[in-house]
Amino acid sequence: MTEGTVVTETGSTSGRVNLKTRSLLTRENKLNVVPVRHWGRGVLAVVSVIVLISVVLGLWTNPNIQWPIVGEFLFSPAILKGLGTTLEITAVSMVFALVLAVVIAVMRISPSRIVSGFAAGYVFIFRGVPLIVLLIFVGNLGLFFQNFAIGIPFTDITFWSVPVKEVMTPFLASVIGLSLAGSGYMAEIVRGGLLSIGRGQHEAAKALGLNGARTLRYVVLPQALRVLLPPMGNEFISMLKASAIVSVIAGGDLLTVALGISGSNFRTIELLIVATIWYLLVITVLTIVQYFIEKRTAER
Amino acid sequence: MTAETQTLVRPMVSVEGVDKWFGQNQVLFDIDLQIAEGETVCLIGPSGSGKSTLLRCINHLEEINTGRIRVGDDLIGYREKRGRLHELKEHEACHQRVRVGMVFQQFNLFPHMTALENIAFAPIKILRVPKAEAISRARTLLERVGLAAKADFYPSQLSGGQQQRVAIARAVAMRPTVLLFDEPTSALDPELVGEVLEVMKDLVRTANMTIVVVTHEMGFAREVADRVVFMADGRLVEQGEPAQVLDSPQNARTREFLSAVIR
Repeated sequence: MTEGTVVTETGSTSGRVNLKTRSLLTRENKLNVVPVRHWGRGVLAVVSVIVLISVVLGLWTNPNIQWPIVGEFLFSPAILKGLGTTLEITAVSMVFALVLAVVIAVMRISPSRIVSGFAAGYVFIFRGVPLIVLLIFVGNLGLFFQNFAIGIPFTDITFWSVPVKEVMTPFLASVIGLSLAGSGYMAEIVRGGLLSIGRGQHEAAKALGLNGARTLRYVVLPQALRVLLPPMGNEFISMLKASAIVSVIAGGDLLTVALGISGSNFRTIELLIVATIWYLLVITVLTIVQYFIEKRTAER
Repeated sequence: MTAETQTLVRPMVSVEGVDKWFGQNQVLFDIDLQIAEGETVCLIGPSGSGKSTLLRCINHLEEINTGRIRVGDDLIGYREKRGRLHELKEHEACHQRVRVGMVFQQFNLFPHMTALENIAFAPIKILRVPKAEAISRARTLLERVGLAAKADFYPSQLSGGQQQRVAIARAVAMRPTVLLFDEPTSALDPELVGEVLEVMKDLVRTANMTIVVVTHEMGFAREVADRVVFMADGRLVEQGEPAQVLDSPQNARTREFLSAVIR
């Protein structure tokens, strides 16, 4: 999940090194050097260009893809509404997942074996069950649980109760599924962040008279969140992509809408291209935002 | 303060018959130590002699296995009821620690806070001092440790010596009755040791605090300590006025240690 971070970091470092080397070279450019020929690179470059051109041409001149239809639907109200739903589902799920992840991560490092065992089980299940399975489970929750109820466990006493089938909209099911799955992964990331704060910080807080909760709130979490920002950005991007899976329970997202339209006009590929363009566009924007957040974090 | 007056005043810190084990390893053996109010005590001894552990026991960063430690009227870490010790609740333990400040070898400043925030943070959150008052007091303390110009710097932008001076100001800001120093200059580059020792000397002279310092700085101990305590192998070997312990040690272990340190 942190691949993105690593890539950008190495990228920027090697960039810096190159700059240095280049300035050194210009200073000592009086040496007349014949550079080594890299034949392998040349061959790969030629192959790359050929592949690229044939893919673009294959798509552009393909008689089975009607590009005007792509253009027609790219900004259609239905597609834009679906895109809005995708963003909404992702953002809401991300917030819930993050809150759950912090709670589970804190439970995971609890000295109580029961508490940390519960958290470990939570992570095991929600990381282990494929998202699509989880979503279908949540979407069909009404089949095996009749009511959401608040009451005293293991008794018939209930204070509040509502039938599952009435409240479980596809949107809610999508948010629950994505939040649970996301929180499983993020809990482990958050736990790593919490553990990265050294013993000295805990002791300094203790010596000043801070209790465990305050140490967490004022000393550990602010430092951990800084460490966690880049991987959380990656999680957000992953979740945006994962949100397409909610189309299996008709979550009303971009892909649900695109597939819905193609169901009536039979232009499946064109509408998939429409969805793809939007996904790539949003992810590009998010990646740029993440780049700047990472840069700011690294500067501190 | 001389040895006679100590016995008259009720001790500020009282360590009675303390043993401490780390797993199978006994690191403190039957430690008895009384420190009077306002006294400055330097704990010296070879590494691994248990000086730091003893210090950490005094503010309950470590738990003791036998004996009692008292600071003022507080029995550290426990409440004694009908002959049994009850572990203190978290907020009670926190309350006790507020009275005992600590300065660490590795400074342990909070890296996400500026120097000023590091100092003002705990008084605001724990002592409920009004924000403006806490900040103005933090500025006064920064000035006192010679860092008025560094108020808005983050720890990573300060040298080791500067960080340790901020850490001292942070501990003092809580107005503790007892201040513990755990090898405050051991992690510093040699040229930065002096500035930290100066701040500590100033503190000893002017602040009305009971101060315990674990140190390898014999010159400092000689200059400011009321009493020097020598520890070896988890035992309290010898103690007395600095001149007495450092210049004419009675115990063979003390002589051996001092001849190795003072060249």
